[in-house]
Amino acid sequence: MSPRAAFRQGVRELMPAAPGVFAWGFVTGVAMVKSGLSVPEAIALGLIAYAGSAQLAALPLMATFAPIWLIFVTAVIVNLRFVVYGVMMRSHLAALSMSKRIGLGFLVGDIMFARFSALLEREPHYPQPVAYYFGGACSNWMWWQVSSIIGIVGATGIPLSWGLELAGTLTLVALLVPLCRQWPVLAGATVAAVTSVIAYDLPLRLGLPLGILLGVITAFLVERQRGAA
Amino acid sequence: MIEPYVWWVILAITAATLVTRSGPHLLRAKLRIPPSFDAALRFAPACALAAIIAPDLVFTGDTLNLTWENPRWVAGLVAAVIFATSRSMIATIIGGIATFWVLKGWLVG
Repeated sequence: MSPRAAFRQGVRELMPAAPGVFAWGFVTGVAMVKSGLSVPEAIALGLIAYAGSAQLAALPLMATFAPIWLIFVTAVIVNLRFVVYGVMMRSHLAALSMSKRIGLGFLVGDIMFARFSALLEREPHYPQPVAYYFGGACSNWMWWQVSSIIGIVGATGIPLSWGLELAGTLTLVALLVPLCRQWPVLAGATVAAVTSVIAYDLPLRLGLPLGILLGVITAFLVERQRGAA
Repeated sequence: MIEPYVWWVILAITAATLVTRSGPHLLRAKLRIPPSFDAALRFAPACALAAIIAPDLVFTGDTLNLTWENPRWVAGLVAAVIFATSRSMIATIIGGIATFWVLKGWLVG
C-alpha cells in the first residue's frame, strides 16, 4: 500500500464524522464572537491554537480578564485527554524526525483519533499508519477550520439576544456528561461546580482552580471509600 | 485588530496544546502513566469543565439566579439530559438553545 492511498483512506474514513466536526467548529466560532472577540481575534485563536474545547473553556475566563497563567492551566487540564492519546500513539510516530512528531502530535483531535484507534483495532499491522493518521488529521483540521470561520463570520450578523454564545457552554456540557458515568467523577464534578459558584467573587477567578482542586480531592476520597467498602 | 490580552491568551492556549498534544511524542524514555496521574487524568478534566460551566449558567451578570427568569441553567440541564440519552452533540446544542428560546419567549412575550 502506498502512503498516498493510506492518506486518502484516512481522509475518506473521517467523512462520516465530518458533520460532528463541522458542528463543533461552527459552535466554537459563533461562541468566540458572541463572547466578545473580534473577527480577527477569533480567527487567529482558532488557526493558531486549534483547540476547540480549550478555546471554549477559556471564553468565560477571558470575559472577566482572568490572569494568563490561569487560562494556561485551565487549557492544560481540559487538554489532558490528549496526553493519553499521545502515549497510545507514541510507538507509531517514534521513527519520525522531531519536527514531524511535534507537528503530527499537534494535529491530533478527538474524532480523528477515534478513527485511528478503530483502524488499529481492526488491523493491528496496518502498513501505513502515519499516512492514514495524517490524512485523518488534515481532514479533521480542514472541516474544523472551515466551519469555525463560517461560525465566526456568520455570528457577526446575529443579535446577542439569541443567546448563541450559550451553544459553546452547551458543547462543554456534552463533553462533561460522559465523563460523569462513575460515582467518584460525578461527586468531584459536583463539588467543583458548587465551589466555583460560591467562590465566584474571589479575585483573579481563583474560584476556578479552588473548585478543580476540591473536586479532584473529593473524587479521590469517594473512590478510596468505595474501594475500601 | 487583536488586543494584547488576546495575543497572550492565544499564546497560553497554544502552549497548553503543544505541551499536551506534542509533549508525549518528545519524551525518549518508555512512558508508563503512573496510577496517581491516571486518576488525575480521569478526575481533573471533569472537575475543570464543571467549574467552568456552572458559573456561566447560574449567574446573570454578577448575581446568582436559579429561578425560571434565568433560562441558561435550565437549558444546560436539558442539554445534559439530551446528551446522556442521545449521545448526539448536535441534538444537545439544538435542544439546549431551543429551551433557552422557549423560556425567554414565555417570559418576554
